[in-house]
Amino acid sequence: MDWIAFSLLNGIIYGLLLFMVSAGLTLIFGMMGVLNFAHASFYMLGAYFAYTLQGSVGFVPAIVGATLLAGLVGAGVERWFLRRVHRYGHAHELLLTFGLSFVIAELIKLFFGNYPVDYRIPRSLDVAAFVLGQQQYPAYRLLMGAVALAMFAAIYLLLTRTRVGIVVRSAIYKPRMVEALGHNVQLVFMGVFGVGAALAGLAGAIAGAFYTTSPNMALEVGVMVFVVVVVGGLGSLGGAMLASLLIGVLTSVAVGIDRSAADVLAFVGARDWAESVGGLLTLKLSSLAATLPFALMLLILLLRPSGLMGDKD
Amino acid sequence: MRTPLILTGVALLAALPLLVSAGLLNASIQMLIAALFACAYSLLAGRAGMLSFGHAAYFGVGAFATVHAMNALGGSGLLPTPLMPLVGAVAGLGFGLVAGWFATKRSGTVFAMITLAIAELLHALAPQLKGWFGGESGVSSMRMPAWGFDFGSTTQVYYLSLAWVLISLAALYFHSRTPLGRLTLALRENPHRLRFLGYDMHGLGVSAFALSAMFSGIAGALQVISNESANYAVFDAGVSASVVLNCFIGGVGSFLGPALGAALMTFFGYSVSDRTQVWLLYQGMLFVLVMMYMPDGLTGLVRATASMVRRHGFARVLPLALLWVAAAALVAAGVVFGVEMLQRLFSQDYRALARLTASPPPIALFGRNWATSALSTWLVPAGLLAAGGLLGWGAARRFGALSPASVTDDEKDASSRESTPVLGLSEQVRA
Amino acid sequence: MKNTRLALAALPALLLLAAGAQAAPVKIGMVETLSGPQASSGQAYRAGVRYAIDKLNAAGGWNGEPVQLLEYDNQGGPSGASDKLKAAISDGVQIIVQGASSAIGGQITEDVRKYNLRNPGKEVVYINVGAEALELTGEKCNFHHFRFAGNADVRVQALVKAMKENKSLGTKVYAINQNYSWGQDMEKATVQNAAAGGYQVVEKTLHDVNKIQDFAPYVSKISASGAETVITGNWSNDLLLMMKASKAAGLKAHFATVFLDQPGNISNAGDLALGHYVAHVFSAEASGAEGDRFVADYTARIGHAPVFVEPQTVFGLEMVADALKRTKPVNGALDVNAFAKALEGTRLKTPGGEISVRAADHQALMPMVVSVVSKDARYKADGTAFGFKPVKAFTGEEASTPAQASCKMQRPD
Repeated sequence: MDWIAFSLLNGIIYGLLLFMVSAGLTLIFGMMGVLNFAHASFYMLGAYFAYTLQGSVGFVPAIVGATLLAGLVGAGVERWFLRRVHRYGHAHELLLTFGLSFVIAELIKLFFGNYPVDYRIPRSLDVAAFVLGQQQYPAYRLLMGAVALAMFAAIYLLLTRTRVGIVVRSAIYKPRMVEALGHNVQLVFMGVFGVGAALAGLAGAIAGAFYTTSPNMALEVGVMVFVVVVVGGLGSLGGAMLASLLIGVLTSVAVGIDRSAADVLAFVGARDWAESVGGLLTLKLSSLAATLPFALMLLILLLRPSGLMGDKD
Repeated sequence: MRTPLILTGVALLAALPLLVSAGLLNASIQMLIAALFACAYSLLAGRAGMLSFGHAAYFGVGAFATVHAMNALGGSGLLPTPLMPLVGAVAGLGFGLVAGWFATKRSGTVFAMITLAIAELLHALAPQLKGWFGGESGVSSMRMPAWGFDFGSTTQVYYLSLAWVLISLAALYFHSRTPLGRLTLALRENPHRLRFLGYDMHGLGVSAFALSAMFSGIAGALQVISNESANYAVFDAGVSASVVLNCFIGGVGSFLGPALGAALMTFFGYSVSDRTQVWLLYQGMLFVLVMMYMPDGLTGLVRATASMVRRHGFARVLPLALLWVAAAALVAAGVVFGVEMLQRLFSQDYRALARLTASPPPIALFGRNWATSALSTWLVPAGLLAAGGLLGWGAARRFGALSPASVTDDEKDASSRESTPVLGLSEQVRA
Repeated sequence: MKNTRLALAALPALLLLAAGAQAAPVKIGMVETLSGPQASSGQAYRAGVRYAIDKLNAAGGWNGEPVQLLEYDNQGGPSGASDKLKAAISDGVQIIVQGASSAIGGQITEDVRKYNLRNPGKEVVYINVGAEALELTGEKCNFHHFRFAGNADVRVQALVKAMKENKSLGTKVYAINQNYSWGQDMEKATVQNAAAGGYQVVEKTLHDVNKIQDFAPYVSKISASGAETVITGNWSNDLLLMMKASKAAGLKAHFATVFLDQPGNISNAGDLALGHYVAHVFSAEASGAEGDRFVADYTARIGHAPVFVEPQTVFGLEMVADALKRTKPVNGALDVNAFAKALEGTRLKTPGGEISVRAADHQALMPMVVSVVSKDARYKADGTAFGFKPVKAFTGEEASTPAQASCKMQRPD
């Protein structure tokens, strides 16, 4: 049963990676009601910044630098672009971020080219952590998971135990009241957006070395991040964690299952009928692995639209 | 004033095959289809206020239903080729009813996410269901002759598309004039009051959704008739996104605004994509700029200009308008030059060639060779941007002098209470 | 810019054509994916096409006029390709070139067939330099389509033969591919070659195209099956991520691939690519002095060595150039049917070997080289210390597989 252990471990780590990217998005949405289509672009920017800095300052400082730079870009986007469009309504904010995602992707293609770039894990980290069955488990994946968990803990503590966190949380619910009490809500918005972008940048810097760093990174992660945020509940950090783990494990385990609905129906003797109908009933679960998150998203939206841990309102 | 304008427009469209080349005529067919799709979307997003992010699903369903019907019926019998879009309409209506029934139970962001999920699910499943969606090469068919036409030439396909688009637009306009259409508008304006008055909110929402899906299905059918094939790439999130963008760039405040926006953006993509490699960057910049500075889209621009002309007279507005246009043209030229230079400078092949030679080779652009290390090369875009910025600043000052700032906001508040005018030229009708 | 000038040059040519039987230059239209997510492939094809056309014009063009190259961006999808094809035809293009996607190739070949049916006497021809789905020379085969690329059968057969000979194939083979026509063709070919290769296909997997980030679950399956070789047609991220995941898991199996030489793969994979195989059309090291000359000339003009799809594009267009030379103008213009017949009978010695076209299905018999990633290769890839060292070279005839029975080509006479 090695593969179950592996699948679970892989799924959890992949889920934690998704969490790193979607944490920022769910915070931004909870705070500003903006569904930021450019969020995955910050993920990609983080990877490219880290790649550029790696040559001159080394791996870990490059990651730190990339995080800060992505955060700065995010804060700048909020200050100069989103703030201006805020009063026109959600549709415009959304379309603006969509246009920005194009602009960022094309700028990256302009400066770095269309092919994947050579951003890799340094030798020292490219070791195996342990051996399970016949396979090695890379230490770097565990590192990614550790960073994600640390991030979760840090944000959670920040939001619940510090003054800044209280201001941020109240600005989510009652921005006008918070403004009346004398806090600079505009600055809070900018800060949250910047922090969200920085988190995505950190995720990109770390994951880009392990996976590939190419101009299509944003597209690959982008839609999955939305699924996570919606399934977990818009604005809920815990929900994002739960949803990302769920989706990570689901996709990972599904890959190992080569059965289809026809096999299930065989238990009630309807296999031949199912195979003659064909279509959906004969599709193997393993080839549907990347489709399952969308089915899950639709199910959640229909049954519990506020998400697994979102607020019912 | 409006009717002669519309008649002229229709006449111009009808005479188009005589005026443009075959390549542009084909582009015009795509522009018509995009215009219909955008107007159908605007019924849902603009009038009913329900932002759907997965409208490509209904376009695609209409497309695939039509291509299967074309293969099955062969263009004769009950459904000759000119009547094929009816299949798309029925398919779009059916799927829209089902999807809409579930989606409209919620509103706002959740509604948008449901529509996105439906489209993405379809996009992910379609390549697996080869029987219905034909895998990645899609399902192909051929237009069969009917009613004395052979539908082999682009001109005939153009007239067929034009006829259907005009009929559909007329139907959409008629819908906006019926009580059902008014109630759809009320869904956006004041849902609470509508509920209090006793209307069935869910039913209204479903009707708006289904009608929008029906016309999207017709648009999909027209694309299949033109391309003679349907491919699951039609369910891509990019198609859904582009219809939203076209609609908002045109402006949801008027009936034909989305159509205009769609036509312009399709033409932009068609013409610019062959000239430069970074046309997606320009398109993205255009989106961002329109969202920031022209939130009401082209409709808003036309409306603002018309109100200024009414207020200050043509003679005083014309130089201002020319100043704005000149400023925009200069800024655009500067940006294009700068971006094109950067694109060539940073391309892999140029960098490889630069490493081989002692000094970096010059870059050929717009028919001249530019030395990359020369200051004069970079002064060109800088100068263009500065000139454009200066002109724009001057235009803004003149604009400020001409009218106090609060005028345009008043116009906006007043216009939102009116019925949707056709071209942004407001009517004096109170809803 | 090049194509604007050429397009502007096309205008007086069109007027001349309308004026009567004047000499009309041949227009070659490239309808390629030049923007969007798959732009990197399209741009590689474009480089090859530009090089070949420049050479053709340097040798005198056709009928005393330079051949004009018009470039169209199909915006990444079949419907965009259909639109641009119609634009190209209305611009007077008679030869369409495309390679970057089998889906787009399928659309173009069907559109070309329907156009030719409706417009006899004004035919256009489609030169396919990269769409390798089997159906294009199978059910969808078409007199006005020529394929100058491999296909799944040819690639897998070459890999199996070469790896069996140097004893790295093993007896257990795993087939993992993308779930679309190309991947399914590869899977079928892997199964078909099992008897000849003396191996057993332990498991077959199809996965979503370009959607999977995390290949670790698939690598687990491969490792659990005990396969010694993995045959895959994956490209771009799907290949790279799978190889990275397999290295991370310490998988010992060899990968036998088709697209390992795509730029960016070796630089990204680094030494984890060592020992993996690829079947490609051209290897400079295996082609002697001719190959070196070709590489040097290409690098001088384009800026990088011809790798990945560029050699097959160049060779295909050299075949086109050769056929053009032997096609006499009719009323000053190119008769596409005569050109196609000339192309059918063309045999050309290219730097990679001799290429000929099989008249039954218009599949070119391309030479195939199987190489392994090694530190000893003469030509390094992506500026790294590794390159592709040829293991075995096959001539066009040796590499070819029989024409498919599903091809029922309608000939114009």
